[in-house]
Amino acid sequence: MAQISEIAGSGSGRELELYFGPQHLGMVGNFSITLKVEGDRVLKATANPGYLHRGFEKLMEYRTWIQNFPMVCRINVVEPDSMEMVYAMAVEKLAGIEVPERAQYIRSICLELARVSSHLFGLWAYSNMLGFDTPAQWAMYHRDLVLDLFEELTGGRVYHIYLWPGGVRRDFPKGFRDRIVHTLHSIGGWVPDYDATFFNNRLFYERARGVGQLSQEQAKALGATGPVLRATGMKFDIRKVEPYAAYDKVDWEVPTRQEGDAYSRIWVVRDELIESVHMVFKLLDAMPDGEVYNRIPNPFKWRIPPGEAYVRCESSRGELGLYLVSNGGDKPYRVHFRTPSYPHGLTILEKALEGASIADVGNTMISLYVVAPEIDR
Amino acid sequence: MGKASILSPLKAIRFLFQKPLTLRYPFEKKEPAPRYRGFHLNDWDRCTGCGNCADICPNEAITMIEVPAIEPEPGNKNERPQLDYGRCCFCGLCVDICPPGSLRLSRDYFHIHFDTDTFVFVPKDEKKDEATFLPAEEYSILKASLTHRKRDYEGFSPDLDFALFEPQRVPMPQVSAQERKQSFVEMVRGYSAEQARSEASRCLECGLCEEACPANLRISDYVKAISEDDSEEALRIILEDNPLPAICGRICMKHCEDACSLGLRGEPVAIRWLKRYAADTVESYRETLRAELPAETGKKVAVIGAGAGGLAVAYFLRLKGHGVTVFESQPAGGGMLRMGPPRYRLPDDAVKDDVDYIASFGVQFRFNTAVGKNVQFDELRERYDAVFMAVGTHRSYTARIENEDRALMALDFLNAARVGPAPDVGRHVIVIGGGNVAMDVARTCLRLQQMQYPGQESVTRAVCLESWEEMPASQEEIEEAKEEGIQFNPAWGPKGILLEQGEVSGLECKAVKSVFDEQGRFSPTFYEDRTMVLEGDMVIEAIGQGYDLSFIPDHLMESLAFTERRKVKVNEDGMTSVPGVFAGGDIVNLNMDAVTAIADAKKAAEGIHKMLSEH
Amino acid sequence: MIASLRTGLEATFKGVEVTDREDGMMFVLAPGESIPAVLRYLREHGLDHLALVSCVDWIEEGELEVVYLLTCYMRNNTDYGPEQRRHVLLRTKLPRESAELDSVIGIFENAEPHEREIHELYGVHFEGHPRLIPLFLERGYEIPPFRKDFDTRQYVEKTFGAIPPVED
Repeated sequence: MAQISEIAGSGSGRELELYFGPQHLGMVGNFSITLKVEGDRVLKATANPGYLHRGFEKLMEYRTWIQNFPMVCRINVVEPDSMEMVYAMAVEKLAGIEVPERAQYIRSICLELARVSSHLFGLWAYSNMLGFDTPAQWAMYHRDLVLDLFEELTGGRVYHIYLWPGGVRRDFPKGFRDRIVHTLHSIGGWVPDYDATFFNNRLFYERARGVGQLSQEQAKALGATGPVLRATGMKFDIRKVEPYAAYDKVDWEVPTRQEGDAYSRIWVVRDELIESVHMVFKLLDAMPDGEVYNRIPNPFKWRIPPGEAYVRCESSRGELGLYLVSNGGDKPYRVHFRTPSYPHGLTILEKALEGASIADVGNTMISLYVVAPEIDR
Repeated sequence: MGKASILSPLKAIRFLFQKPLTLRYPFEKKEPAPRYRGFHLNDWDRCTGCGNCADICPNEAITMIEVPAIEPEPGNKNERPQLDYGRCCFCGLCVDICPPGSLRLSRDYFHIHFDTDTFVFVPKDEKKDEATFLPAEEYSILKASLTHRKRDYEGFSPDLDFALFEPQRVPMPQVSAQERKQSFVEMVRGYSAEQARSEASRCLECGLCEEACPANLRISDYVKAISEDDSEEALRIILEDNPLPAICGRICMKHCEDACSLGLRGEPVAIRWLKRYAADTVESYRETLRAELPAETGKKVAVIGAGAGGLAVAYFLRLKGHGVTVFESQPAGGGMLRMGPPRYRLPDDAVKDDVDYIASFGVQFRFNTAVGKNVQFDELRERYDAVFMAVGTHRSYTARIENEDRALMALDFLNAARVGPAPDVGRHVIVIGGGNVAMDVARTCLRLQQMQYPGQESVTRAVCLESWEEMPASQEEIEEAKEEGIQFNPAWGPKGILLEQGEVSGLECKAVKSVFDEQGRFSPTFYEDRTMVLEGDMVIEAIGQGYDLSFIPDHLMESLAFTERRKVKVNEDGMTSVPGVFAGGDIVNLNMDAVTAIADAKKAAEGIHKMLSEH
Repeated sequence: MIASLRTGLEATFKGVEVTDREDGMMFVLAPGESIPAVLRYLREHGLDHLALVSCVDWIEEGELEVVYLLTCYMRNNTDYGPEQRRHVLLRTKLPRESAELDSVIGIFENAEPHEREIHELYGVHFEGHPRLIPLFLERGYEIPPFRKDFDTRQYVEKTFGAIPPVED
């Protein structure tokens, strides 16, 4: 639980320092915040990342291009597919590898399924934190159904290692399309129940309204992207801004809200979830037949010409970028992931917690959709 | 946003009366998906021990460990992968890189044990490990572990379309069968720089080829150099172990490619063509090797025969500073390589390049000098510090059939076709034999027919004891001969040459019952009553050759030891039972090819050097 | 806009090299001391999204390269033009031994953790940064751990001991 210590020499004895996390019920993930509080007001918050710093970017400099694939996905356990996607895109850009069209569709479908699973996980985290245990358990269950799909497609439930330079690692198994449709339909059938117990619940409204509110100007100044930015009214989505995979092949909408608080952020997440499901259906209908993989060079002799690339994609949390540098060797020279949680969990969180009540700390952090391993890398 | 209500959540109350969705583990089980990535399975019969899985593993979870129970052989090391499940991340890269496709992942993922050592495990599969893999009815999840697994439970498995290696080789540009049979033009055109680079980049560097190569060339290294566009470095590596790159790059029996792990589910790396590419691209071998000759030792070695073995031993000895004189009965160097392989396989320039290279090291050649005739063997032993003999097999065997004196001998024919003025051939030629020499004879004959009877009907038939499957000629040669139009008559044995008014009119054949006896020794049996007649006006016998050691005086011949297979016996230094006399090549080894002769020569050169240094 | 940005940059700043690439990437190489001014200029000219501040250790050249990656947010909600697909990569090269830069927190507030991270992992000092304390790590290191001369494997073996080989 939280530890409280009096700030030495503060005199009045009313200002206290409070350690929030990493072991705290309101904290999701290995992350902590040091709060300077007076009463139940937060005067200043300091984010302390690093509990999950595994130095992946440095470790990747020691491994060959292909050996890094099992590693990139582990940077973000909640949504490994976007990690694989940016790495694959950056490698393809540097090495000049083409991707067959069907593989682009499969990639988009995979990424949207990952978004569904990640948003359901986020929904679990948020509703669980607020004490809405019933929809939280549903979300976990439904996420599991999506993981079943991934297991069938890729052989792994959590770490898929599936989006691969040159395409994808295996084609759809027989009848997989129908099972995607079936699973998504059965999750979709629960939307009225989610709405009734959570999204249209007065308690959620009261609890989330105005929490961690950001104006669009603030959000931009602090580097916000993803649902955090879209909850302030900007339709900024890399899938539209800089389309990759097959996102420019089908019609879809970017959901937004105007208020920029926790309530609108979670509603953006809900709307995106539904939009993603619809998008998967459209992608499945438009998906062509054909090859799904252009063979990459022999991994033991694979050198990528010197150069650098910055590629980005829209993960469920916002702009996920990768700055990749090659010096012509068989290993990357420098890998740097621009993860959406980095500005959200450090700069924005500290800002948003100033003046907040202690009870809203977890609420704010989770509504900013922070995944700690993404920050630490 | 709908209307927020405090009562709407009550809708969920109805779930109190519904069945739970949660799986009641362990009473209810969930089957892993068919592609599940669980513990490894390894088919030991297919696994070659190449170690590519260990090389690609990002976590160093795989170590190759020696398995004494497995007898190593070319293309199969006695090593098998051992998995450390404390490190394995189940990514499946090992599955996608496995050339034979032996390594797979199963759907098992349970292993509970107090002993951490049990997490290190050498995977096998149900074929080799029946004790571990239990049928479904005996299996229970409560006991599940690495030593108690479900049978037929394969998960993530290899798929050639998604493999991390390229199974197809870069096609070699060749002259078409129609065109090439008109002349002796070299049929293989050779790779371009781009083709060579991309073919070389298929190599996975597992080194199975190096162990299979009789001369132990550093194949992975030179192939890698070619993939990096450095053919000079490639040639330098080759020349360290093989002084005949242009020759071997064309006619080597390529034991390496037979062992190549990529050949198991695709085509082996074209190692021979890559060697040829390196030899053909580089201007000067001598500058490439960058070798300074050491100071002369003053020792002298006599080499009998300027074939592959003789040339190679001269080269290796010169690099050690010994004086070498090569005695050759023919007017030029190359031995069997100069006389045997037809020009469409081995053009004169290739032989000349390699022989000149060896001569450039100051090797003395005495051409047209037959030992036993122009110079005596005993004389060589007296005048030189050591003698190396690699005289090859020059005496053609005959089938001992009726009118056998009317048949031509393979080597005489090939030699004449290659060196002398082209011999006249008949319009209907019958070649007896199913080996590579027979193929050379038949295909040479076909070309001569095309040249001597243009626009007229002519045919070359081959007849051999062996069936299609048993035929000793390489598959490649048989295919190419078929393409060119050679007519094969497998499983027929010659009975007699038929004469009509003193002229050859055909060959009577009898059907073969079996070629080998139960011990696998050559001992043909026939159906004497089932015969046929092949019409033809010329018969050439190509059923094998033997050596002729008559130049060795009788007093030495008595002490010269032979092996059971009637080969000259040598020790680990390449020395025969006669002190100071070394031997190599076809008279010693069973492979009877150039690269094995080079291997013998290398061994003998070391042996000679050792002996000369001791005195 | 792209062409004018280039000419504008070259006209305004001394020693700035601009290279355009066909894929919409623009590389700007600027001397260390003019980084804040160039960043401010770029921000005023529409590049209002600092996506990433990174650092590359070019050990053979003896240089640390600090990289600022800029893109644009949208002006309005139908704004999916080439402008938004533009990436500007502003970089500067610093000597490895005395790598120092002015902090740009005053221009882009979200540069704050990035600068802390680069200070910690690459040893670049950012003048004017309010709390240049370690972001991720607990221990002190002789060499900043993301520099190329820091050998991770050796460090792990020294600090935590090598994993003993498993006996057969």
